Amino acid sequence: MKRILAQCKKELAQFRRDRLTLALAFILPTMTLFIFGFAIRLEAKNIVLIVQDFDRSNLSQAYTERLYATNQFVPVQWNGLDPVRDGIDRGLAKAAVIIPSKFSSDVQAGRTSTVQVLIDGTDVNNARVIKNSIQAFTKVFIQDQNLAQSQPKILPRIRLWFNPGRQESLYIVPGVFGVILAIYPSLLAALAMSREKEQGTILQTYASSISAAELLLGKCLAYFIVGIGQALFVIGLGCAVWRLGFAGDPTPLFVGGAIFLIASVMFGLFIGVRANNRSVAVQGVATAGFLLALLLSGFIYPLHNIPFPLSLVTNIVPARYFIEISRDAFVRGTGWSGVWLAPLLLAVLAFVLFSLSRRILGRMQLPG
Amino acid sequence: MNLFRRFLESRFFVLAVKEISQILRNKQLIFLLVFPPTIQLLIFGFALSPNVEHIKLGVMDYSNTPMSRELTAAMTANGVFDVKSRTIDETDLSNQVRRGDVTAGLVIPTDFNRSLHSDRPAEVQVLIDAVDANTAGIASGYATQIINQFGRQFTPEAVPPIQTEATILYNPGLVSSWFIVPGVIGLVLNLGSSLVSTSAVVREKDTGTLEQLLMTPAADWEIILAKVVPLFVLLLGEVMLALSVAHFIFQVPFRGSLPLFLFFSGLYACVGIGVGFLLATISRTQQQAILTSFFINLPLIQLSGAIAPVESMPKFFQILSLANPLRHYIKIARGVLLKGNGLDVLYPEAIALFCFAIALLYISTSKFRSQLN
Repeated sequence: MKRILAQCKKELAQFRRDRLTLALAFILPTMTLFIFGFAIRLEAKNIVLIVQDFDRSNLSQAYTERLYATNQFVPVQWNGLDPVRDGIDRGLAKAAVIIPSKFSSDVQAGRTSTVQVLIDGTDVNNARVIKNSIQAFTKVFIQDQNLAQSQPKILPRIRLWFNPGRQESLYIVPGVFGVILAIYPSLLAALAMSREKEQGTILQTYASSISAAELLLGKCLAYFIVGIGQALFVIGLGCAVWRLGFAGDPTPLFVGGAIFLIASVMFGLFIGVRANNRSVAVQGVATAGFLLALLLSGFIYPLHNIPFPLSLVTNIVPARYFIEISRDAFVRGTGWSGVWLAPLLLAVLAFVLFSLSRRILGRMQLPG
Repeated sequence: MNLFRRFLESRFFVLAVKEISQILRNKQLIFLLVFPPTIQLLIFGFALSPNVEHIKLGVMDYSNTPMSRELTAAMTANGVFDVKSRTIDETDLSNQVRRGDVTAGLVIPTDFNRSLHSDRPAEVQVLIDAVDANTAGIASGYATQIINQFGRQFTPEAVPPIQTEATILYNPGLVSSWFIVPGVIGLVLNLGSSLVSTSAVVREKDTGTLEQLLMTPAADWEIILAKVVPLFVLLLGEVMLALSVAHFIFQVPFRGSLPLFLFFSGLYACVGIGVGFLLATISRTQQQAILTSFFINLPLIQLSGAIAPVESMPKFFQILSLANPLRHYIKIARGVLLKGNGLDVLYPEAIALFCFAIALLYISTSKFRSQLN
């Protein structure tokens, strides 16, 4: 125990002295928080839409006006006769609505008039959003103009839970916490471990009486403390900027967060133990951390979209469990009954990473 | 013939051969150019899917009639919703939503069947877990559509007066990887070019062979060009590899012209090499160079539109991203691959990339040159 604490103190002293790393430890997470928190928005607002009205009747003009009044679409100047597809080809508009020439006379005569909608499908997600919202809008328009002769027989009443305003920041920001705390504490730990290997100081510990487990635990404790600093800083800043508050019992976040930080630091130490120099360690954490924490954690798109063999990998991604905990704490508010499993699995992952690193280090250790 | 022989005997050629053999001998470099891009393409392409389907649905059917069962069947018919649980206890359903066991709940009231045959409309409730705002929006759109469609069979007027017929261009099947993969080709080229060019220069600094280069009678432009050209060729090879993965594994269409795409990729490779050289000249060790590139590549990638579309970002970030060469390259990649755009459409991006390439290559080579002297 004494040796663990000594190792931890030495590590923290070294960390404090290295200005560049110290600055990096707080600047990089802040930068990531702002870029991810502000820039990752899946659903487009202000979609540029061309309306080509061949009818020019009161009804078609009402349709156009009401469509733009939904505040989802922005008009663009378009010459009435040019093919609208050119506008989409050139990226001037994301979608086009073409109102046929006999629109109002058909509708008034009780015939069905078909409005053509062309959508740029390059961005799959937004194409789907645009299609749905134009269809929904048309439905509402028919009702509002009293064009439907009969009332619909079934009325769907949709209730959105937890996030009724569908704010994307409420989904993204708790996830950003997970991505940041998955990458940066482990980056620091990996650098610390690989530095010893690169500079050869690891040989002294091999020869000394400190055991591999004590060395790892000491380093882990040091970067756990640094990680807590980063976590408080990043989560505090994020909550202040995006006005997040606890939705329920915050203890799962504290307990789960602490275990997650340990797992994250252990991952860094594991990479550090494997890498022979710092640049390999940085690359390892950057590549693995980014691919895993960013793509296989459910941060951007839901996990159940990931196809089978790859979906197995998501089970060993610590960030996945923390993001679950964090979204629960800030949005859902279920508390322990909803997320009790996640801290347990994080603890298992941390322990596995610890034993793997210990085994690799222990091989070099002199007996005694 | 004579000219050709003079080229073969020129200092430039000898230097280029030396550079190529150095690269080919560097197993780590070759590995870096082949392995991570392929893995990145595969994971990005498979993992990032905005598709909203197989949403877990909890059904609370108080009515329990053939009609209500038909509505439930209609919800699951095209794979958008999957029935995960059935219950007739409201707190049970809300607990399931809270725990995340189901993402949506369908509540069919007792008088559902009776209302269908009376004048009053029947109301069904759909609860949606909106923690994921994007999925919730799309799921509620689907639910409304399915229920409306189902309700239509009970009204005398079968078709509404206004119908919309949506045509999705370029990607009619809405295959998500078609959006992601061209973006990842940009990421791969960006990381590859900056990484390889940094390490090509820094290694010479670290090992001190840069001094030896200075002793040779070669002019500095020969040294620099001999460094750039092999990297350039190598990076185009990487682009071809990425394109093959895109084509054979993800079946991403290639609608534009290949020479045009390679031209743009070459232009972007120059941008990346410029960034790499710049990083290498301003940093003293390999470690510093790698950390700095981490620092620079992160915002470049995030503000490029590779993962989240630029149009969805707040205005400020959209404007900021104009200063990001990667954003222009990814727009070109999507334009050429998916839309079949030519230079007539993509000229603004082409001009932007050209300016970036010239500026970065100029600054970095002049810095490099001043170090050489």
